[in-house]
Amino acid sequence: MRKILSCIAALCFLTSQAQVTFPVNGARDKNWEYIALEHATLHIHDQQTIEDATLLFHEGKIINAGKDIALPPLTLKLDYTGKHIYPSFIDLSSNYGQPAVASAPWSPMPQIERNRKGAFGWNDAIYSDYAASYHFEYNEEQAQAYIKSGFGVALSHQKDGIVRGSGCLVAFNDNELKSLLQSQVSAHYSFDKGSSKQDYPNSLMGSIALLRQTYYDAQWYKVSGIQSERNLSLESFLQLQNFPSFFDCDDKWNALRADKIGDEFGVQYIIKGAGNEYQRLAEMKASKASFILPVNFPGPIDCTDPILVKQIPLEEMKHWDWAPANAAMLKGEGIPFVFTSDGLEDKSQFLSKIQKAAQYGLTESDVIAALTRLPAQWTSSYDKIGSLEAKKYANFIITSSPLLSTKCQILENWIMGEKHVIETPKEEPWLGQYQLTWEQNGPITSTIIIEKRPNGLNGTWIQQGDTLAKSLKVTTDPVRVTIYMHHDKDSTFTTHEYLTLQKTQSGVEGMLLNALNSIKMVKGSFEAAPKKEQEEKEEITEWKKPITAMTYPFGSYGRKALPSKETIWIQNATLWTNESAGVIQGDLLIQDGKIMQVGKVTAPANAVVINAKGLHVTPGIIDEHSHIALMSVNEGSQSSSAEVEEARVVWPEDIDIYRQLAGGVTASQLLHGSANAIGGQSALIKLRWGMNGDQMLIENAPGFIKFALGENVKQSNWGEFSRVRFPQTRMGVEQLYYDHFHQAREYGAAWKKYNAAAKSKTPLPAPRKDLEMEALHEILESKRFITCHSYVQSEINMLMHVADSMGFKINTFTHILEGYKVADKMKAHGVSASSFSDWWAYKMEVRDAIPYNGALLWEQGVNVGFNSDDAEMARRLNQEAGKAVKYGNVPEAEALKFVTLNPAKMLHLDHRMGSLAPGKDADVVIWNNHPLSVYAIAEKTFVDGRCLYDRSEEDALHQAEWQERKLLMDAMQHSIENGDLPQKANGRRRRHFHCDSEGELFIIQDHDHENHH
Amino acid sequence: MKIIINFLIGCITLTAWGQYAPAPQQSKSILILNATVHLGNGNVIPNAAVGFKKGKIELVADASTIRLSKEAYDTTILAEGQHLYPGFIAPAINLGLIEMEAVRATSDFYEVGEFNPHIRSLIAFNTDSEILPTVRSNGVLFTQVTPSGGVISGTSSVVHLDAWNWEDAMVLKDDGVHLHWPDLYRRSAAGFDRNKNYDEEKNQITQFFENAAVYCSQSQHNEVDLRMEAMCPVLLGRSNLYVHAENERQLLEVVAFKQKMKIKKVVIIGGYDAPWVATSLKEENISVMIPRVHSLPHYSADAVDGPFTLAKQLHDAGVLFCFQNAGDMEAMNSRNLPFLAGTAVAYGLPYEEAVKGLTLNAAKILGMDQQYGSIEVGKSATFFLSTGDALDMKTNQLTHIFIDGRNVTIRNKQYDLYMKYKRKYAQDKK
Repeated sequence: MRKILSCIAALCFLTSQAQVTFPVNGARDKNWEYIALEHATLHIHDQQTIEDATLLFHEGKIINAGKDIALPPLTLKLDYTGKHIYPSFIDLSSNYGQPAVASAPWSPMPQIERNRKGAFGWNDAIYSDYAASYHFEYNEEQAQAYIKSGFGVALSHQKDGIVRGSGCLVAFNDNELKSLLQSQVSAHYSFDKGSSKQDYPNSLMGSIALLRQTYYDAQWYKVSGIQSERNLSLESFLQLQNFPSFFDCDDKWNALRADKIGDEFGVQYIIKGAGNEYQRLAEMKASKASFILPVNFPGPIDCTDPILVKQIPLEEMKHWDWAPANAAMLKGEGIPFVFTSDGLEDKSQFLSKIQKAAQYGLTESDVIAALTRLPAQWTSSYDKIGSLEAKKYANFIITSSPLLSTKCQILENWIMGEKHVIETPKEEPWLGQYQLTWEQNGPITSTIIIEKRPNGLNGTWIQQGDTLAKSLKVTTDPVRVTIYMHHDKDSTFTTHEYLTLQKTQSGVEGMLLNALNSIKMVKGSFEAAPKKEQEEKEEITEWKKPITAMTYPFGSYGRKALPSKETIWIQNATLWTNESAGVIQGDLLIQDGKIMQVGKVTAPANAVVINAKGLHVTPGIIDEHSHIALMSVNEGSQSSSAEVEEARVVWPEDIDIYRQLAGGVTASQLLHGSANAIGGQSALIKLRWGMNGDQMLIENAPGFIKFALGENVKQSNWGEFSRVRFPQTRMGVEQLYYDHFHQAREYGAAWKKYNAAAKSKTPLPAPRKDLEMEALHEILESKRFITCHSYVQSEINMLMHVADSMGFKINTFTHILEGYKVADKMKAHGVSASSFSDWWAYKMEVRDAIPYNGALLWEQGVNVGFNSDDAEMARRLNQEAGKAVKYGNVPEAEALKFVTLNPAKMLHLDHRMGSLAPGKDADVVIWNNHPLSVYAIAEKTFVDGRCLYDRSEEDALHQAEWQERKLLMDAMQHSIENGDLPQKANGRRRRHFHCDSEGELFIIQDHDHENHH
Repeated sequence: MKIIINFLIGCITLTAWGQYAPAPQQSKSILILNATVHLGNGNVIPNAAVGFKKGKIELVADASTIRLSKEAYDTTILAEGQHLYPGFIAPAINLGLIEMEAVRATSDFYEVGEFNPHIRSLIAFNTDSEILPTVRSNGVLFTQVTPSGGVISGTSSVVHLDAWNWEDAMVLKDDGVHLHWPDLYRRSAAGFDRNKNYDEEKNQITQFFENAAVYCSQSQHNEVDLRMEAMCPVLLGRSNLYVHAENERQLLEVVAFKQKMKIKKVVIIGGYDAPWVATSLKEENISVMIPRVHSLPHYSADAVDGPFTLAKQLHDAGVLFCFQNAGDMEAMNSRNLPFLAGTAVAYGLPYEEAVKGLTLNAAKILGMDQQYGSIEVGKSATFFLSTGDALDMKTNQLTHIFIDGRNVTIRNKQYDLYMKYKRKYAQDKK
């Protein structure tokens, strides 16, 4: 390593380092020479290759490239016969030369407001004024790592914050005034708040909301906001909009989340991908995004401990199999991509990783484009870099053979005309046969043969037909070869002798150093070994393929394809209709995802018949309060986070979706947590296992938002440090609501005024669009509905008063464990109750919780449901409904509605869900027993007429998984035996969680734990 | 159903002045007639006669085949259509050691320190906990008061749930020591791997036991070591060693540890992977208190219904097991213990075996089966009547509870609140 580095330093003599504007100490250097590299194969760009051609350059720029080009008189001609010349690579995901990010030490104290002073925005994670070019400094260690891997230029930017400012294009040259090719070329974003210690945002959905709000703020600032404040963060954010935008995403789903924000603001982000985009090709294609792909493919996991293997998620094991195919699969869909070395611990692995990716279906032309032309075009710098065309920078690499040949070595990397030697071609001028003579009691003639062996050069010593030694150590330098002489057996020497030789015109001569007889002169002849024929061109005859299957989701219980919407005729079942007919014996027909006929059925001929004699059929269970299938639950940093949306952070691969289908659940409200008085907006989903997050969202569902009261909101159980956020008492909670709703009312009025004036002759400037106020204003307009976490009667009563006085209604109280004390008031208000069947005693405010709550509320005519708030309980909500029979004797047919029709009503979805009626969605469960009984097991669960859970299929899916695991275990073991470095398993079930900062991961888990009920 | 409600209202008026006071000793003999009796030993008598006096069962018979003189009993409960079960036993939880999870002042189950066998849960058991009656009302009449924390958490005791104080409540004093076997796998920033400290952690345990064995081999000590004293009943084979362990390699390590240390009575609490090592467990007479049936599979690769079928798998393999519900909110949740057994039935465990898992099996494992755990002549009259199947939440509806023959109320604070607000809304209507 040291040798190569000193080479790089030593060979910078060819061009001058002087800056025009700088005073000179000594005589001026002048760049007089032209350099021509001749007889090389020139890969001008991905579409053009010229053999036996010349590359001419001067003062760091290419003058000409091609065959038969005219050379100026003062041209240094260099012979590059047999070598390949490619444009140097460009890395678009780099923090090269940027200062290390300083992170404040962790503190348990909340930081509600910004730390940064000055005329900047309110949030420390919005660093839009960061100009990478102003912070850029030459960094030798980093530069050399890039140069060695073939890179000439990087798009350098600081990887810190949600808005990361602008990036600059820099070449790997130690003269900063030259290496800075372009100062502001790009805008950079991520979902990771980085070094900011400000509480907000502490979740993925908070990051999304903050970024969206920043776009809106900038729009406002541009038009009218500048009248009321000078905000440098927004000014620089506006400037960023002139550049191509890059979004750093560490997961395939985050790519889609980012792209959706881009769609909202007319920005097409270029996505720095995670490497798992292949798992959702259709979605990636639909995003129309281009991708910067990492090549840090995972190593094989040591699978010798099967108990450990069992604990590793299937998707993590399969990722090893599929990751190298990522680029080729994107190519198959026509998705543009480039490569980055970002994420590789050892950048010198870069070329070999690219070659590995290519084996799955990339041509040399694809690879060249992805490493040179495309990254240049995406940064609008193809006029300067990215090909070997005239006027561009003389940035190119010399390789020993074609780029994708496994023997390919990067020999040199020329950047701005400066040569950096990476690897000296292994010429072996010393290979061959030597006839030597020296004096040893008379002339002795010996034959020495030097040949190449895998572990280096090796010498054989033959004297008068007798082989004295077979494995002599040989070392060489450019002018001399040294052989360590000794006999293998029967030595006449008492110690080693050293024979060193140099070439002369007539042969070789040198000396033999012997401990006994001092130095002797040696002379002789040399016959070079015949050179081996050029290696045959390697041709890839067949692309590699992963050994495991693509499934949706890409993990346990995934399917190769989504089950289709079949016509299904369920016969002779006990039908729990939830309609006036009640519980009846009869048939049910499902067609095109809808329930067509109930009771008596005249079925079409193609219907699939299910004989359900002795079985029970109910509408699918609807869980009004769930936190599964989410990337984040709480944006608990502020007392109001009405702007955050769970719908943007649905995690459709959560295994709990499948497990809950197995418990008959077909739809869920994914709620924000209860860390703050005004939480975030809900996602209403159907459990469409295998589909993506957006596809799971229920079409045209009304908007919902989580509110919360009591201990969590006032941080009663958050520890001693959480004593500063308002409110800390129930008294404060009421006033917080009034404060926010009055604001929202005024916000609505301002927009109304603006809209009215817009048509007039004196239009007004648009008010600032405020995502938080938008959501709250929708509540006032009865366009968004509140589900409020609540326990004790006083606060339940209070919130109904707040709503009444502000002119809207609370839709649902969730938990509502003291609802029974104010059931009459709730009935009068018209609010629904979504409760636990029997939870209590976990904190002070549930002291008076009783399992008869549901029955009492129901008796008073309140719409009552039971929810889970728990991934485990959700898979047996039918049993929880059964407890309404036990505690308070609710009639069975009504008890079933607690988990079906009643939650459908709460969610304003009862027109399409919650009962077995013609025209409703075919969300249907077939049970083997009375559905309220502990003995009931869901046999089949249909969502929109698709059978997404089938107990008879479960074993097959389970077996298929273990077959794949076995296949992967064998393949990984084989790969380790072949020398691949084993890698530790991650083993995290929620492995996608750390797409965001670790901070979020922990905060959210903590808060989940404390506050989800 | 109306009859029951009337009955309950009757109870309230009768006992209005002595809310939840523990019931007095059985003074009158009682005969329960025509109930379906689940004996707890795997057998069932569909139409039975069960008679008890002074807290002891003295008659268990098929009512249709024996001659009875009703006059032999002071009271007869006609229980046609009802089910009689031995009192259910809820082991391995902190019921009575905690009142409100979030209120630290009410928490008494987690002691500091790594090796605390001398910590005794019995004396902290709060007979006045408001949770106890709510658990009792679903048929759970015993609990094993179990401390947690550290490697050796302490010593548990078994109590019944209707007592004036912990001395009255005591069924088994200091029934065993609780050991938490170290994890074999651990997650670090570098990834997921074997626990590098495992051998060291295991050696600490071994050393502790070896020291204790030496100490306990002498009956007289000049210097008393409280920790070692507490280990002696375990090492002398008089009480249980409860080992909290889940995965198969841990379980095999426990088997080896039992052999090496020559420990007579070992009980696994947990045993998620127990079916995979069932033969070894059976050969070593190690019984299992299985993980809460209503829990999620540990890994996405596991069968979706794994926790539901575990009881059946152990039953089929012939391993002695019982139910328990350690986990989130285990104190208040112990009233759902019967339904854990119900779910196991749904997934293939024979019904009477499930009852056994709540009664006689648990009593055997704990060491209280001489007196409790089944409805057999000579045993304590500790059982309850339910109008329906007590393992199904839909039908679990108690009418009578007897503990040692004492007629214990089925009411609880929650029921009273229910009645209070029922009355409020009835008044409001008028």
